[in-house]
Amino acid sequence: MAAFSLSWLTSPLSIVIIVSLVIGLVMVVLFGYTSDQKAIGIAKDQLKAHLLAVRLYRDQIPVVMGSYGKILRGTGRYLKLAFMPLLYVIIPITLLMVQIDRYLGQTPIPVNAPFLLTVHMNGGDALNDATLNLPDEITTTAPAVHIPANNDVVWRLVGAKEGKYEVKIAVGGQTVEKTVCVGNDLPRISTVRLRGQFWSRMFSSAESALPQNSPIESIAINYPDRDIDIAGYGMNWIWLFFILSMIAGFIFKELLGIQI
Amino acid sequence: MKRFRFLLIAILLFPALAHAYAGPGAGFAVLSSFWAIFVAFLYSFYALMTWPFRQLFRFLRRRNAYGKATFERAVILGFDGMDPELADRFMKEGRLPNLAKLRDKGTFSKLRTTFPAISPVAWSTFMTGVNPGKHNIYDFLARDTNNYLPYLSSAEIRGPKRHIKIGKYSIPFGKTEIKAMRKGTPFWHWLGNAGIFSSVIRVPVTFPPEKFQGVLLSGMCVPDLKGSQGTFCLCTTRMSSDKFREGGVRVPVERSNGVCRSYVPGPDNPVKENAGEVRMDFELKPEAGSKQARFTVGSEKFTLKVGEYSEWITAEFKAGMGFTAHGICRFYLKELSPEVEVYVTPVNIDPGHPDLPISHPVTYSIYLAKLFGPYATLGLAEDTWALNEHVLDDDAFLAQAYGNHEDRERMLFDALDKTKQGLCTCVFDTTDRIQHMFWRYLEEDHPAARDVPKSERREVIQDLYQRMDRLIGRVMEKIDDDTLLMVISDHGFKSFARCMNLNAWLHQNGYLALKEGKTESGDWFEDVDWSRTRAYTMGLNGLYLNIKGREKQGIVDPADVDRLKDELREKLNGLVDPASGTVGVTGVFVTDEFYRGPYAENAPDLLVGYGAGYRASWDSVMGKVTSQIFEDNIKAWSGDHCIDPRLVPGVLFSSHKFIEEKPAIVDVAPTILKLFGLALPAHFDGKPWNLAAKAAPGA
Repeated sequence: MAAFSLSWLTSPLSIVIIVSLVIGLVMVVLFGYTSDQKAIGIAKDQLKAHLLAVRLYRDQIPVVMGSYGKILRGTGRYLKLAFMPLLYVIIPITLLMVQIDRYLGQTPIPVNAPFLLTVHMNGGDALNDATLNLPDEITTTAPAVHIPANNDVVWRLVGAKEGKYEVKIAVGGQTVEKTVCVGNDLPRISTVRLRGQFWSRMFSSAESALPQNSPIESIAINYPDRDIDIAGYGMNWIWLFFILSMIAGFIFKELLGIQI
Repeated sequence: MKRFRFLLIAILLFPALAHAYAGPGAGFAVLSSFWAIFVAFLYSFYALMTWPFRQLFRFLRRRNAYGKATFERAVILGFDGMDPELADRFMKEGRLPNLAKLRDKGTFSKLRTTFPAISPVAWSTFMTGVNPGKHNIYDFLARDTNNYLPYLSSAEIRGPKRHIKIGKYSIPFGKTEIKAMRKGTPFWHWLGNAGIFSSVIRVPVTFPPEKFQGVLLSGMCVPDLKGSQGTFCLCTTRMSSDKFREGGVRVPVERSNGVCRSYVPGPDNPVKENAGEVRMDFELKPEAGSKQARFTVGSEKFTLKVGEYSEWITAEFKAGMGFTAHGICRFYLKELSPEVEVYVTPVNIDPGHPDLPISHPVTYSIYLAKLFGPYATLGLAEDTWALNEHVLDDDAFLAQAYGNHEDRERMLFDALDKTKQGLCTCVFDTTDRIQHMFWRYLEEDHPAARDVPKSERREVIQDLYQRMDRLIGRVMEKIDDDTLLMVISDHGFKSFARCMNLNAWLHQNGYLALKEGKTESGDWFEDVDWSRTRAYTMGLNGLYLNIKGREKQGIVDPADVDRLKDELREKLNGLVDPASGTVGVTGVFVTDEFYRGPYAENAPDLLVGYGAGYRASWDSVMGKVTSQIFEDNIKAWSGDHCIDPRLVPGVLFSSHKFIEEKPAIVDVAPTILKLFGLALPAHFDGKPWNLAAKAAPGA
C-alpha cells in the first residue's frame, strides 16, 4: 500500500502539482512581504475606478478616452509595483525552476532507441582527431559524421540497457566525458556539457565545465522532450506549472489576504 | 553584491523556457494588467462605436438636448445652513473674496426657505420645486397616528419578508425593501429625460437612490450599518451606568496582560433569532509610555497616538451562515492612562461594498471608493452627538468634520471634471454641522460657553466661511462663462440659547394631560393620557391635534379643529420667556393655509416658529413632558435654524445676475429647467428667475 502511494507521488504529474502548490504559496507569501501592499491596493483600486468611469460616463467620449489613458498609465504603475518585489524572488525561483527542468524537461533516451551525440570543436584541425570510447551498453549504429562548416562531429548511438553511462571523447591528447541517461526513470538530465559560458552552463547544463584548454566547446545529446499527459493531451511541465501555480496563488492570496 | 547584480541581469537578459515564468506573482501581474487593458479597450471600443448611434437615437427622441440651453453646464453648490447675515458681514470684512466676486458680478441675495426651515424639508423642495404638501417631508421625523411613535420621514427599510428556518438559524430570503417616503420628482430626472446628464452628490433626502440619467450619491438620511441615523461607540475602562441621551453606546474595555480588548457593536443578527447584535472584536496594546497604542482590528493593524484618528477601517460583522455585513469606521484614541478610552464613529455602510444601495448606479459609490478610498456614507456623518455628550472635544470633532469635507471636495472636483455638460450639484453639510456646534463662540454670553474663557474661544465659524470661500475660488477656476455657478443654502442660522418645551406648555395650559399621579412624562409620551389630550408636539416645529378618527385615541371633534388651531395660535404667538422678557415664539402657522398637495394631510396641524435664540427643547423633540417650559441650552449644539422660517433665510450667490427680488428655494428647480430650455411641469410651485445679462435664446 505504501509502495503504491510512493509511486504515485513520484510521477511527473504529482511532482508538478506539488511543486506548483508549494511555489504558489511561497511566492504569494514572499510577494506579500516584499511588496508595498498598500500601494498595490491603491493602484489596483484606481484601475478599477477608471474602468468603472468608462462605464458610468459612456456617453461622454472625452471622459471615456481620458479614462482609457489613465488605465494605461495606471497599468504601468501597477506593473512597476508588482514587478519590484519580483526582483527579490526571481533569482531563487528561477534557479529552482532550472533544477526542476533538469528532471522534468526531458526524458532519458529509451532503450534501443537511436540518439545523436554532437561534439562541437573550436576549430577544424581537431575535427578529424576526435575518437569515441563507449561503455559496453552503448554502441554506435553508424560512422561518425563530420560537419566542418559547423566544426561538429556527430555520432549516432544506441543504449542497450537502462542506466547512467559515461561516454569518453578523446581529442588532441585529452579525454573528456559526457553522461548519457538511458531508460524511462526520472534522472537528472544534462542535455549538454559546455566549456566556459558560465550563464549558459547555469541554465542549460547539469555537468561540470569542460577543461579550458580542451578543443571541445560543447558535447550535446538530443534527449526527447518530456510531455506530461493531461486527459490525453501532452503538455510541457512549464505550462502545467504556470496554470497550477496561478490557481494555487489565487487561492492562497485570498486565504492570506495578500494583494497581488 | 556585484555578483548578485550580474546574476539578476543575466536572469532578466537570458529568458528561456524554464525561467520565462517566475511564479504566480508575475503571472497575476501580467494577467491583471492585460485584463484591465483588455476590458478598458472593449468598453472604449463599445463606447466609441455606439456613440454615434446613441447620439442619433437621442437626437431623434429628444432633439438636441442642449439646443435651447442658456448654459452648457450648471453647477450648484449647496452649503447647508450658510447664513446670509454672516456671509454679508464676512464679505464686508474682506474675508470672503470669492463670494464677494460672485456678489459683484452676479447675484447675492437671501433665499426664502421652506416652512419649516429644516434641511430635509428645504432640500426636498429644492430638488422637486414643490411645497411639502407635494413631497411629503415635514421634518426628520413623522408620527404614527396609531401609537404616537416617531418614524424616519424620508425612507422606510424593511428586511426580507420570507425566512427559511434551519435549526437555530432563520435565513432571510429575498431582498431588503427600501421605500422612499419623499415624493415628487427631482429636477435632474426631468433633465435626464431630455438627455441632459447630471452628477448629484450628497443632496439630502436622496436615499434610496432613484434611477435617472446621471450619477448620484445619496446624502442626509442614509443610515449607518445598524440602521440608525448614527450610533457612535465609546469603548472605555471607565465604568458608568449612565446612558448617552442619544446617538451613542458605551462598551466596556477589558484589560489583561497589557492588552485591552473590546468590540464595536454592529447590526442585529439577521440569521439568528434573538441573538442580539453582531459584534466586531478589536484589541489594542499601549506602547511608548502610554502615548500610543497598537490596534488590531480584524486583519488590519495600525498605531494611533492619543488624540489621533485612524483611517477608515473595514468593519466586517459576521452573522453566521455566510452572512456578513460590510461597514467602515474610524477609531479615535481618547485616552490611554490612567483609563483607556477609544471612540469609534458610527459604522458607515462600506461604499466599496454597499450592503444597501447608496448611489445610482450602484457602481458610482464603488467608483468613488476605488478612486479616493473609503469615505463617510452616513447621512449625518459629522458626529454632533459625540460632541454634545463630551465624548469628542472641539478639535476631534473638527478633525472629523473637515476630514469628511475634504472627501466631499474631491468628489465635487471629480464630478466637475466628468460633467462638462449638464448639471453638477453637490451639498456640503460641514457648514450646517459646524455652525450648530460652534455658534456658542460667536456670542458673548451663550449658556453653552459660559465656562469657556474668551481667550480660548476659537473663530471656528469665521474659519469655516473662509474655507468655503476658498472652495468657491477653486471651483471658479474650473468653470468658464458657459457655466452657471450657483451657491445656495437651505436656511440660515441663529443662536440656540434657550430651549422651550412645548409639551410642557401644552400640559400647563390644559391641552395635554398626563396619567394620574404623573407630573412629567418620559420619552415618546410614555405617561401621556391620550383620552384627555387635545394637542401634542414631537419633532422640531410641528404641533399636532389629537383628532378623533385620525389619531387612534383622538378626542378632538373634527368640527372643533379650526377653533382649536386659532386658539393655540393666539395663545402661543408672542409667548414671552419670563426669564429674559423676550419673545420665544414669533409666529404660529396653520399648515393647511399654505400646504397644497396630495400629502398635505400628513403635515402637522400647526408649525411653531420660535424666535431667534429659541428652539424646541431636546426633551420636547422626543415627546417628553417636563415641568419647566423654558430652560438654558447648555449643549455644544448651540446654533439652530428650526425656528420662525422668516428669520433664517438661506443664501443665493450666482455667477450670472438674476433679476428676482425675493428668490425662494422652491424656485431653483424651475429656474434650472428653464435655463436648459425645458418646459416646466405644471405642478411646480416655484417660479423661474430671469437672467439679467445673458438672455436665453428665443427668450
